[in-house]
Amino acid sequence: MRQSHRLNDIGLINRDKVITFNFNGKSYQGYEGDTLASALLANGVHLVGRSFKYHRPRGFIGAGVDEPNAKLQVTINGHSEPNINATEIELVDGLSATSQNCWPSVEFDIGAINNFLKRFFPAGFYYKTFMWPKSFWYKVYEPFIRKAAGLGVASLEKDKERYEHKFEYCDLLVTGSGPSGLASAYAAAKNGAKVILAEDKPRYGGTLLTDDVSIDNMSGKDWSEKIVSELKKMPNVTLKNRSQVFGYYDHNMMVMFERVGDHLTNKSKYTPRQRLWYIRAKETILSTGSIERPIVFGNNDTPGVVLSSAAKEYMKVYGVLVGRKPIIFTNNDSAYETAFEFKKNNVEPIILDTREEHDSEVVQEAKNKGIQIKFSYGVIVANGYKKVKSAKIGKLTKDKKSFESTETINCDCICVSGFWTPTVHLASQSGNKLKFDEKIDAFIPDKSKQNEKTVGAANGSFTLQETIESGFKTGSELSSKITDRNNENKIPTVTETKHNVHDKFWCMPLPKNENPKRFVDFQNDVAVSDIEIALREGYRSIEHVKRYTTLGMATDQGRTSNLNGLQMVSNIENKIVPEVGHTTFRPPFTPITIGTIVGREVGMEFMPTRKTPMHDWHEKNNAVFVDAGAWKRPRYYKQGNETLLEASKREAKNVRENVGICDVTTLGKIDIKGPDAAEFLNRVYTNAWLKLPVGKARYGVMLREDGMIMDDGTTTRISENHYHMTTTTAQAANVLSHLEYYLQIVWPELNVNVVSTTEQWAGAAIAGPKSRDMLSKLFPDLDVSNEALPFMGYIESNLFGVPARIFRISFSGELAYEVNVESNYGLFMWEKMMEIGQEFNNQPYGTEALSTLRIEMGHVAGPELDGRTIPQDVSLDGLVSKKKDFIGKNSLGKEAFILENRQKIVGLVPTDRKSSIPEGSHLVENEKAKLPNPKLGHVSSSCWSVENNNPFSLAIVNDGKNMIGKKLFAVSPLKNTSIEVEIISSHYVDPEGKRVRS
Amino acid sequence: MLHINCPFCGLRAQKEFAYGGDATVKRPELNKEVSKEEWDNFVYMRKSPRGKHIELWHHISGCRQWFKVQRDTATHEIFKTAKMSEEIV
Amino acid sequence: MQKYSVFSLIKNAFSDHQNWEVAWKDPTPKSEYDVVIIGGGGHGLATAYYLAKEHNITNVAVIEKGWIGGGNVGRNTTIIRSNFLYDANARFNEFGMDLWRNLSQELNFNVMFSPRGIINLAHSDAQMNAYARRGNSMRLNGIDAKLLNRDEVKKLIPMADFSDEVRFPIFGGLMQPSAGTARHDGVAWGYARQADSMGVDIIQHCEVEGFDVEGGKIKGVRTSKGVIKAKKVGLCVAGSTNILAEKLNMTLPIETHLLQACVSEPVKPVLDGVVTFGAGHFYISQSDKGEMVMGGDLDGYNSYAQRGNLPTIQHVLTGGLALFPFLSRLKMLRTWGGIMDMSMDGSPIIDKTHIEGLYLNCGWCYGGFKSTPVSGWTFAHTIAQDRLHELNADLTLNRFSNGYLLDEKGLGTKTWIS
Repeated sequence: MRQSHRLNDIGLINRDKVITFNFNGKSYQGYEGDTLASALLANGVHLVGRSFKYHRPRGFIGAGVDEPNAKLQVTINGHSEPNINATEIELVDGLSATSQNCWPSVEFDIGAINNFLKRFFPAGFYYKTFMWPKSFWYKVYEPFIRKAAGLGVASLEKDKERYEHKFEYCDLLVTGSGPSGLASAYAAAKNGAKVILAEDKPRYGGTLLTDDVSIDNMSGKDWSEKIVSELKKMPNVTLKNRSQVFGYYDHNMMVMFERVGDHLTNKSKYTPRQRLWYIRAKETILSTGSIERPIVFGNNDTPGVVLSSAAKEYMKVYGVLVGRKPIIFTNNDSAYETAFEFKKNNVEPIILDTREEHDSEVVQEAKNKGIQIKFSYGVIVANGYKKVKSAKIGKLTKDKKSFESTETINCDCICVSGFWTPTVHLASQSGNKLKFDEKIDAFIPDKSKQNEKTVGAANGSFTLQETIESGFKTGSELSSKITDRNNENKIPTVTETKHNVHDKFWCMPLPKNENPKRFVDFQNDVAVSDIEIALREGYRSIEHVKRYTTLGMATDQGRTSNLNGLQMVSNIENKIVPEVGHTTFRPPFTPITIGTIVGREVGMEFMPTRKTPMHDWHEKNNAVFVDAGAWKRPRYYKQGNETLLEASKREAKNVRENVGICDVTTLGKIDIKGPDAAEFLNRVYTNAWLKLPVGKARYGVMLREDGMIMDDGTTTRISENHYHMTTTTAQAANVLSHLEYYLQIVWPELNVNVVSTTEQWAGAAIAGPKSRDMLSKLFPDLDVSNEALPFMGYIESNLFGVPARIFRISFSGELAYEVNVESNYGLFMWEKMMEIGQEFNNQPYGTEALSTLRIEMGHVAGPELDGRTIPQDVSLDGLVSKKKDFIGKNSLGKEAFILENRQKIVGLVPTDRKSSIPEGSHLVENEKAKLPNPKLGHVSSSCWSVENNNPFSLAIVNDGKNMIGKKLFAVSPLKNTSIEVEIISSHYVDPEGKRVRS
Repeated sequence: MLHINCPFCGLRAQKEFAYGGDATVKRPELNKEVSKEEWDNFVYMRKSPRGKHIELWHHISGCRQWFKVQRDTATHEIFKTAKMSEEIV
Repeated sequence: MQKYSVFSLIKNAFSDHQNWEVAWKDPTPKSEYDVVIIGGGGHGLATAYYLAKEHNITNVAVIEKGWIGGGNVGRNTTIIRSNFLYDANARFNEFGMDLWRNLSQELNFNVMFSPRGIINLAHSDAQMNAYARRGNSMRLNGIDAKLLNRDEVKKLIPMADFSDEVRFPIFGGLMQPSAGTARHDGVAWGYARQADSMGVDIIQHCEVEGFDVEGGKIKGVRTSKGVIKAKKVGLCVAGSTNILAEKLNMTLPIETHLLQACVSEPVKPVLDGVVTFGAGHFYISQSDKGEMVMGGDLDGYNSYAQRGNLPTIQHVLTGGLALFPFLSRLKMLRTWGGIMDMSMDGSPIIDKTHIEGLYLNCGWCYGGFKSTPVSGWTFAHTIAQDRLHELNADLTLNRFSNGYLLDEKGLGTKTWIS
């Protein structure tokens, strides 16, 4: 198939490999090494999209990251992705692309009616209308606007590709492999520095690939290839193409995005699609080059209007002609080279130069080549709807505000150059305040803020000589600081054309009575008239202009439009650009897939899964698990078709009647050692700890300094200076940090050490009236009588040869023990318990039964200790020492905390003894009162009391202690329930606590 | 990501640390009369300056030591880090 | 003032939009005002508007160190809701919801308030119970709330991860159907335009350098544009509260922290309402432009930088992918940061101070945008009448010393982890 606009014998593409692709349902061919854009242009396709607001036909403007228009819906490997920049994506076999934001097709788009109504859609029009009738905004207008907006379509499928992260350290990171980047990387590498050179494009060399220069008598391209091949041989250098440093963060942390997989045809299952690099560099060289900006003129968005540098790149890199009858429209010398390149390929360009007739090397050369130049000329308006057909051009008056004459000439493309804008994004992100350089009419980096140095075009030096010299010099200086080596570099000899000064001219005036749109921001359809309206209406700060008009807020982030926008504002406001200022440059430089940012922490790997040593056993025995932080805990062990409630009742009942075991490994465990350990505990817990004997455990409550309960648990004195603390599963990490805080910061004089032993011990609770009998069988040589091992007693023994710790503590309110063994023996312990427990009708029980057991005993847990309760609220004031000081004590005297009618925990039973009370219900006096209905408290925990065979709940109620005996309604409007409840004590079962001591 | 110099372990990525707030807030001494105001100042009141801030960090995925960092809250530049026993002037 | 409508738009279209008036003027400050509001953000501008509208006090200046609407009102994720547990917060914000519903018409400026609903997802029974507690409290306060089970959530957001390959399955959620979003910039500009039309001076690029206090009374403010005398001064500066408090020798229960947010590239509508993830810090909505607007966690250390670091964004988006795997192929377009006045219990302060004539409005944490109208309304009342309205009666400064805290999350004073 013929590629109508492909040149022979020029370009860096691989003509041996033809690639077939599909665009808007039509099949095309390109070559390996093409971008989607160059391949489409090779086939003469310019029209690729429709604009955001007016649905105007749009074509390619640029040839890289600067492209504002060519955002396509692209399908590769069966996965469709929106908003892919056609000028960046490499052509691969089977790639299929469609235009976005148009219906039914890009050629005929109904939405283009907006273009005829455009005078009614100026900047900010939506703030001024769509307000009546009131309900219409959300129901009528907005849905319409939402549908119209939005560019491409998000595929809702799960992404099957793999994304990775990499962490790297280096001496010097060089961002961009143009002349300054190559020179600095080379100089630094020669000094022995560890260098990473990142290049966004597939090919190294930057402008050296397209500029007509010679370095050491080599073409720019050959020189760059020579340097790259030398760098590749050096072990201290990492060269990365398809890799863009997109963010410059604090402490010299750079983040880079590497496109690893999309251009590969055969990749392994483990090849990531994209990779994110966190790079901590000692020094950074920003050699990001510059971006050509357009000159603004009428209908400058017509397909066929391209940047002159892009036209040149399409010819020299891809062997593609963007047109056969080009106008070169420029305010500077650099675009002349595009004209020369056309000429070289037998195309006759005409140059319109906004400057008055002058002489310079390039002008001379153009004349010598017989290229027609019209000085003081510019394009007023591009004619043609879906493609440029002709241009109305005009000779500018001396003040450049009107025209001496106008005429129309035929053309099929307009290559425009409004001079160069340094790419200062990374410098600005690093914190560098930019300064305005009058010489080039653009911002360049000011004093370095972090360890960054900007070189080359990014720093506003637009001659190769200067660029290469500063590259060598900076690379050498920065690296020798680190490596202490100072390799002598021979700076290469550069031959380049000398350029004359550019014209400070950005926007073509309009002849009287002509009003074509002159676009500043292509993608967001922001025209000069929009900026004028914003300023007229008082949106004068540059940020206001940006937000009101949406200038620079599209997916290209205003790379080609921001500076022109600033120039417009400064012209209209009669200010100089630095007074107007600039909007903030924020990462990322170009949009980055969210998959890449997230990396491998997806699906089941979203968070680590912590399993106890007994996990496999639980799994084999039909445990249904519940997430407790990162832990998996058995919620219940399902038998047959049991429901959660049936299973938990069975398990809880079995504990009350026989014996059950529960995996309590997840509880936090902290080892506390040192001569001052008792004193420390005495300060951490609200109750007294100085007199706890060795071999005894005690329950304790700890507060935050604001008086709220932080956590509770038991701590056991293992030996004189050695304690074993348990925490709740949820607070384990916080409590450890809390203890360390006080030991290291507040009371460093205390000689105490703490360390987490949560994962060192596996734990099982044995609870129920038969637990002692079972324990004696587990430890046949041990005296486990009430006298030898009383409530809150502790003893060490061995479980069939395995060292074990036995605590007589109880969460269920039953006679109970907790046995700890080293984690490796956890499963052994559990299986032994199951085996020996058989004769006692032992059953494992899960967290649901555990909750039932603790609720009916009135033991508080997470729902009550929600960070908003003080000890008296949950009837733990008995544990608050009046004599000694402790963490948080001073807060307990606050007015609200000592109110007579302060909230307090109570028990609830439904008066019908049948209706379960939903957790989260609130207590009200009158269920039918009009709203707002005053709330007297809330239901924190509910269960089916297995002891009394009716529902029971815990609630925290205002004036709780005086409410016992009253009747209220527990209402849950969400569940449409209202249950009359009787308020009783929170200790529903065994209020005297006889069982635990039995 | 900040790069924090743990006085015990050296330069490490911020990922290894947990923040602990203003280091100049001093807890009133134990077992001593504290005025309500003094106590509330300790629990609730913060200067939160723009500029130099001495603050606590905890090397939780490392040596588990708390230490002090002097950092600029406007630029995030870190000037000094020190053990709890050392002063940052 | 020029009225905005479809008719004025058409009329102006035919005169090439040459005749639009300025939305607000750019006056030089007078030497004295009845009230000076410091801070030209949403809350400050709203306060000025309600002072003029509700209390007929029009000799008012709003002074702003940068450009109006440049702080958090212009850098938030535009969520508006009143789904609070505590009565004080719920009633305050529900009054605000009523103001939102009429705001476009009242201001004659389309602030694009859309009640598209907010869903807080739950990933455990415990979380469902906590949401039930909150939702029931809302309902008893007359605020709409619905408890959704897994299937009901699936109907609303079928693209969420309902597969087996998910670490924390969705159990259900709490929904406030009347919650929604609005156009953040429009809110600031709409208030500014109306306030200006009623005589309020909006003075930009005017930074406060100090305060004149005599005998315990405020006398005026010293600014980069000279001394401005004032009978009353209202402080409405969110993330800059601590800086101004220092100039007043005040210490407040507030820390300043950085919150980042980000948007994806625009795509066609896929998500109608606001969704918050319950197993991580992540929330999301889709703007009218098609961008997915996403946010989550604080950067986690005191900060005045309006720029953050990538790990926080990474952490937030990791939650995002756990909830909505399709986000993987969308591209993050832009990140930005705002500085938050984090109060020690997570609730705001709208109160008088120990200095006569000086009023305080701060502590909005990361939820200031939704309260813009009601904050302005109650603050205007507090300033005009020199007493708290019953709506902000509990939002006092001394609640920290007397213990009447409004800790919606129960996280206490570690503001950076809330």
